[in-house]
Amino acid sequence: MNRNKIYPRYFALGALIIYFVFFFLPGLIGVGYSFTDWSAYSDELHYVGFENFKTVFSADENYMKIITNTLEFTLITTVLKNVIGLILALLLTKSIRLLNMHRGIVFMPSVLSTLIIGMIFKSILDPKSGLLNSFFRSVGLEMFAKKWLVTSELAFGSVMAVDIWRGVGYIMTILIAGILSISSDYYEAAAIDGAGGWKKFRYITLPLILPTLATTTVLNVIYGLKVFDMVYALTNGGPGKATTEVLYTAVFKKFGTGQYAVGTALSSVMFVIMIFVGAYMIRVMTKNEVVE
Amino acid sequence: MKKKILVTLLSVSMVMGMLAGCTQGGAADTAPAASEPAAAAEEVTEEAAPIEENSDAGDDVTITFMASQDWIQDAEMELGEKFTEETGIKVDYQIVPSDQYESLLMTKINAGECTDIFGGQSSQFSIVTQFDVEKNAVDLSGESWAGNVDPAAAVELSAGGKLYGQPIQDVSACWAVAYNISMFDELGLSIPTNYAEFCDVCEKIKAAGITPIYECVSDGWHHVCWTEAAVAATQADPSYPDKLNNNEATFEGNPELTTMFAQLKEMADKGYMGDNYMSNEYANAPASIASGEYAMVLYNQGLGAEVNAADPDFPVDNIGYFVNPLCDNQALNVNYCGPSRFIFSGSKNIDAAKKYLEFMASDESLAYMTENVGKFNQLPYSNAPSAYSSVVQDFYDRYPNKVAVFQASVKYYNPAWMDIGADMSAMFLDEMTPEEVLKDIDKLRAEQAAAASDPAWQ
Repeated sequence: MNRNKIYPRYFALGALIIYFVFFFLPGLIGVGYSFTDWSAYSDELHYVGFENFKTVFSADENYMKIITNTLEFTLITTVLKNVIGLILALLLTKSIRLLNMHRGIVFMPSVLSTLIIGMIFKSILDPKSGLLNSFFRSVGLEMFAKKWLVTSELAFGSVMAVDIWRGVGYIMTILIAGILSISSDYYEAAAIDGAGGWKKFRYITLPLILPTLATTTVLNVIYGLKVFDMVYALTNGGPGKATTEVLYTAVFKKFGTGQYAVGTALSSVMFVIMIFVGAYMIRVMTKNEVVE
Repeated sequence: MKKKILVTLLSVSMVMGMLAGCTQGGAADTAPAASEPAAAAEEVTEEAAPIEENSDAGDDVTITFMASQDWIQDAEMELGEKFTEETGIKVDYQIVPSDQYESLLMTKINAGECTDIFGGQSSQFSIVTQFDVEKNAVDLSGESWAGNVDPAAAVELSAGGKLYGQPIQDVSACWAVAYNISMFDELGLSIPTNYAEFCDVCEKIKAAGITPIYECVSDGWHHVCWTEAAVAATQADPSYPDKLNNNEATFEGNPELTTMFAQLKEMADKGYMGDNYMSNEYANAPASIASGEYAMVLYNQGLGAEVNAADPDFPVDNIGYFVNPLCDNQALNVNYCGPSRFIFSGSKNIDAAKKYLEFMASDESLAYMTENVGKFNQLPYSNAPSAYSSVVQDFYDRYPNKVAVFQASVKYYNPAWMDIGADMSAMFLDEMTPEEVLKDIDKLRAEQAAAASDPAWQ
């Protein structure tokens, strides 16, 4: 077999056609619809230019807040899931008792349905009878008993906290795999040279798990930009007008009210954001790759 | 070269095969659905044929019924079991949290993938503009029970002279302030006749260490029921609803409506609704009144039985009612609109769904529902029994002046209900002023009207 053989380009034809027809074309049609007045109330379709985009970016509407909320959610949950996941991964790769049980417990929320977690946390975070506030009251920490999901100040943070709790175990598991793939020779050599725990982490662990961290970052960013179920179950975008509204809950509501065109315009804006974020991430991730 | 051609041909044939496969599947899936409305239409005209003889309703049929929380009562599910025993048709009830229901329902309808039966609010305006019943629901005019529906309720379920829905609830009931009678007696309180007296009552209850009003904003819809005091605006200018419908007037700037929202905000700010009104849930209202922690709640005329069910020591007739006193209103806010059952036109089980509706409208079922659901005093059917208690009858007698609420008299108000709820929630959180809420209602209505190509908004 000739290992250096380069397969002809038309080998990719089948995959390209399928990708084009089932992925690219519907996306393109979706963008096309955002320039029309498509709605559930009329069978007619008219070209309206950038009207829907004007609505999306209008100061009178709160779509910009929704876009900002989505980006804020993505940024904060990505950073915190990575940091907490890394700390947990470092702790749970040490020789400790009942290691797998600890790993299992941290990972467990990731396998539960997001909607069920949302419902459970809605009850746990109830200001009056919720488990969390009841606990604070029972140990004399009344001042920490807050209205978690129903005030403008705390609602979004609470939603993000629950999402981080749910997703951190998954990130931890990926990072554990990354850490365990590092040869112990590096650590032994570093120990002989007198390196302490911090230096071992800084100069061995961190550089060698950077590709794994890049993977978890991509996963988190994609999840964050597309988040829907957690917000839907916990607050449905409230309290108030759009305190915790994110793009996908807004798009869902627009489709619910039959205003398809504005919904597709919002999706198109999301599409553009994703292209920029995706291109940037691919560039950063492939920066240190050796090209043969 | 031959190899290249072969590979290209194979690739193209593979893709074509897949596309053809998808097309065939789609056609197979859609063909029966497309033929259903026609079949349904035939069904109506051939009413003489007994329903039992329909071939598609039987052992292996399961009909799905989606509705908002609180619309499907336990008694209805019990009747559903009886229906299954009698017909072999199973009923899958899909109960959705109320704050999420409207979006989910409209998405399902608009996607053409709704349940066999769906619950929706009746209203002669919104069943056309929102649900587009002429396209999305089955004409029920020819059903045996259709003639029994109260004419006032039937109007709100009809479009183009055809009946499209079946009432679920008692629409004679209205949203009024339900209060604990013995608590009022102990505190020496009497029924308020204007907003100032109502505030006075609240202050005295608060001073006794009791939260005056149980409110539940988290459901997204209940706090909007306070806006039924908008009947005050209709009383001030009886042509106001028509002006709104003809786009000759706006919500913004109306003195009664501005006062109504401002007073509602004031009630929240003064602590009349307690600390947890943003997270309270409607389902907990009876238990909260039974506990004595709260004195009043905006409710329909069946709270007594529900509180009694939550606490058997609490007498059914210990709950009295007075009208929503915002804007000094003293008129009874009547609304013949209410949650109703519609059969989805794209359903593959239209006959089975019709059987279910027929079963629910039978004398026995209506009597069972009236007997077992506290808030059902008089279901809107000529064959339904009446079960008004003396307390409820006294309430209706006290307010002879009846005015239709905005849900029934103003176009594009009902479809905006949940959005208005979100605005009001923002108002409670100081994110919006009452004036901004009113302005937004105008905007929401204009959006709906524009989407519906309403000539008044052109």
